[in-house]
Amino acid sequence: MLRMTLAVLRKDMTLTLLRSSGLVQTLLLGLLLVFVFSLSQGVGENLNARNAAAVFWLSSAFCQVLIFNQLYALEETNDSRLGLLLCPAPIQAVWLGKAIAGLVLLLLAQCVFLPATVVFLGQSLNGPLRPALAILLLTDTGMCALGSLLGALAQGQTTRESLLSIVLFPLLAPLLLAGTGIGAQVFGSADPDGPGAWLGLAAAFDAIFLAAGLLLFAFLYTGDE
Amino acid sequence: MLELDRVAHLYGHTLVFRDISCTFGAGSITLLLGGNGAGKSTLLRIMAGLTRPSFGAARFTGKSGKIGHLAHSTFVYPALTALENLTFWREAHCLSMTKEGLLSILGRVGLAARAHDRAGTFSRGMAQRLNLARILLLEPDVLLLDEPDTGLDAASQALLRRELLEARRRGACVVLTSHDIARDAQLADRALLLEKGRLAHDGPPSRLSPPDVAEQACCA
Repeated sequence: MLRMTLAVLRKDMTLTLLRSSGLVQTLLLGLLLVFVFSLSQGVGENLNARNAAAVFWLSSAFCQVLIFNQLYALEETNDSRLGLLLCPAPIQAVWLGKAIAGLVLLLLAQCVFLPATVVFLGQSLNGPLRPALAILLLTDTGMCALGSLLGALAQGQTTRESLLSIVLFPLLAPLLLAGTGIGAQVFGSADPDGPGAWLGLAAAFDAIFLAAGLLLFAFLYTGDE
Repeated sequence: MLELDRVAHLYGHTLVFRDISCTFGAGSITLLLGGNGAGKSTLLRIMAGLTRPSFGAARFTGKSGKIGHLAHSTFVYPALTALENLTFWREAHCLSMTKEGLLSILGRVGLAARAHDRAGTFSRGMAQRLNLARILLLEPDVLLLDEPDTGLDAASQALLRRELLEARRRGACVVLTSHDIARDAQLADRALLLEKGRLAHDGPPSRLSPPDVAEQACCA
């Protein structure tokens, strides 16, 4: 399973970063969101830390939808999905490979969104950085586990962009809440409870989404046309 | 090696075929015939495990567990080179073959000179050759081909037939549907005819009645 996972990961990274428009579209969308929110402030005003963190995660969530639509569309051109179904490894390898590819691409995008949030929304990174890194990884892991699962659901559908968004965002709410909670602390907002509860919430939802991915992916991806 | 046990399939409420029972042994080529909509492609997909039959079962007892499926879709990633495509399928099938081995397979299908070109620049016939290279890489126990000639020129068709004979010699079980009944009937050991939702003929191609052959030739 590991070999097929790595094969899917390598292929998806090559196709996305080297052989197509890459992350340009997703980066533009995310940056546009951050920029538009920056226009909501008056001259010399800064968005409060919680709102800025929410904008960061909103950009990340939209970016994630585009990433997984793109990753699953790779198999639609010449029906390569059928070829993957005939491989001897468990089909969950495709889910895992695409989830990891999505995670790498999302982290790359966030490397751009974070400085943009700091610059355009007038924030500073003066909160606890270790929990911030942990929540970034936990939230991104959950988002990508779910994105990879629901990307399979939306593949082949003409309405896949809207279908993915409609199903995905309500399920992501707890993770985005945790991400925003700790993001606000990173941007300097005080929280008497600290990051522990948010980290626990994100870890719990990660476990649920990872288990759901492993259990449900085969049903979604192997469905007869 | 491959067994169909009272297989039936429904599309919605429409019965495509029913009570299809037969076995396919090693080292054989079977020609699957039937008019448009008879269910040939569906039956091949059931054999490949890509479609679940509405009733009955398809059982596969190959040694290596490898099934090759060659259909209208080429399974090719256009933005990858021919060699990268083959490398991906090698990894996905957990096979161990060197780069030289992959290049030699590309040579067998006449694509050695285009190994480093993106598959998106290939014609339909060349993409299908690359698809054939994927099958050769696998060396499957069961090889299922759904009108594999589509888009192939005469040289590629001859190449395909050579490889089918080689697969039979190796002990693979080959099942194919075809447009060219007269030619493929000579290649096959056995012919199955799907007609009116049932298996109307199961035997040597030479025993197909001339009206059957004529009808298949005009309906295929």
